[in-house]
Amino acid sequence: MTAPPATDVIDKRARSLVPWLLVAGPTLALLVFFVLPNAILLSAGFLKSEGQTLTGQLTFENYAFFFGRPTYVAALLRTFFIALSVGVLVVVLGFPLAYFLTRTRSRWKGLLIALSLSPLLASVVVRTYGWFIIFNRFGALNDFLLYTGFIKERLAFMPSTGAIIVGLTHSLLPYGVLTIMAAVQSLNPQLELAAMSLGASRTRTFLRVTLPLCLPGIAGGFILAFSISLSAYATPAILGGPSTQTIATLLYTFMIAILDWSVGSMLGTILIVTSGLMVYLATKLGAKRSAL
Amino acid sequence: MINGVRRGSNAAPWFALKVVNTVIFIFILGPILITAAASFNEANQSKFPPRGFSLKWWADAFSDDWVDPVLFSFRLAICAALVSTIVALPLTFGLTRYRFKGRDALITLALGPLMLPALVISIGLLQFFYLIGLGDYVGFWALLAGHFVICLPFSVRTIAISLYGLPANVEKAAASLGASPVTVLFKVVFPLIKNGILAGAVFSFIHSFSDVNVSLFISRPGQMPVSVKILGFLEFGFAPTLAAVAILTMIIPLVLIIAIERFGGLGDFIYGERARG
Repeated sequence: MTAPPATDVIDKRARSLVPWLLVAGPTLALLVFFVLPNAILLSAGFLKSEGQTLTGQLTFENYAFFFGRPTYVAALLRTFFIALSVGVLVVVLGFPLAYFLTRTRSRWKGLLIALSLSPLLASVVVRTYGWFIIFNRFGALNDFLLYTGFIKERLAFMPSTGAIIVGLTHSLLPYGVLTIMAAVQSLNPQLELAAMSLGASRTRTFLRVTLPLCLPGIAGGFILAFSISLSAYATPAILGGPSTQTIATLLYTFMIAILDWSVGSMLGTILIVTSGLMVYLATKLGAKRSAL
Repeated sequence: MINGVRRGSNAAPWFALKVVNTVIFIFILGPILITAAASFNEANQSKFPPRGFSLKWWADAFSDDWVDPVLFSFRLAICAALVSTIVALPLTFGLTRYRFKGRDALITLALGPLMLPALVISIGLLQFFYLIGLGDYVGFWALLAGHFVICLPFSVRTIAISLYGLPANVEKAAASLGASPVTVLFKVVFPLIKNGILAGAVFSFIHSFSDVNVSLFISRPGQMPVSVKILGFLEFGFAPTLAAVAILTMIIPLVLIIAIERFGGLGDFIYGERARG
């Protein structure tokens, strides 16, 4: 064998550089505007700060300060409770809708899908505003219950954890529907027919065939709703109050009102770690399949 | 056939499913319709059912106080969509067409902003801008950086889906017929993945336009997306003006989606993963 002509070698080397040239710019942009800011945030939680300026001193004071106060720990637990409830509700409401939307033969199918996903077009502020009109002291729900005589005096539906859960479930339902629809779509209806033709009852078919085969989609919807709820700010800010603080609203208070950026960063770190865990879980369950 | 079986023996559960879903639909659309209705109140509270009928809150919504932030959001979303598309094109091309060291890490990095809470990205950027001494650029430029980061995954995914749908042979065929790489890119590849690029840009625009979280800490008065401004005003009062502005901000992306749907269609990208099996 003779060595390949020199030009070929150069060409090959040049070609192996092509992917690097393509991705170099974008990678740099991501490193500067995504990785670096997050690295600063992660380290800021462990640094002492004088108001907005960080000093180089290493400290765990921020963590001790936060976990030493029952109100803050309660806010942390409340955040997890909200995220868990929202995740469950999104899946429970999302599954029947997703199942119906993929299997229906109605000629309105396209419109129905568009309608059920339409809230995604609106900012979460817009989606939560409607719940304020319903839940507030002089709102539609109180008016209705007074009018029909169910209650004698106005009730405080908000600020409350329940109102936050309802608002977030409403905001995140389209994500659940989208994720579960993908799973129902990949489920062959013939499998369900086969199970029934072999004598399985409808309930048994649903529990033993349909549900298990849709599980990755359901898990994906749950994890998506859970992790977005963890760090949702607008909904708890509108439908909650001082007695229903969550990590995100505390974070806002520390960053903007108290101007203690290192405690704010520490709260950000808690959010990064928990959502990182959720993403890890999601990939383990195979729920999130990337397009790449 | 399948239909026959369902309509025959499954009619009852199917009917129950329809009833359940009607309730869910009311749950989904109710609050948005209620907000729309409240914007026509005559009373100065966001009441539902509206008391009387008036367009005065809509007139308020079209005053400079609210048109300016809406236009600011609009400009920001256009810039974010443009930048993320321009950055995503070479990145996605490299990721889909080549195998190289660090490719997996880069994929995680490119899709990462989708998985990290946007609120956290916002604080990170705030501290970053102050730390490098560019605190004065918190406002439009910091917002553009943040919106670019959160929009990038949308552009990358839609462009990747259309690049995977495009057989590499097409490029080889064009090249073997004597087309230069640049010609191949502009005459063959771009026209064929045009819809993917467009869909990515539309998703990015909507994501940016409706974002609250990433903008929360890096806005400043006068350079503030409309969603953050509404949120700020919600703390003081709930005048129906806000309902009108809220609905207005929903109409803009809706018009865009309808226009694009007429033009090329986005359905492929909502079901992109299924199309690939």
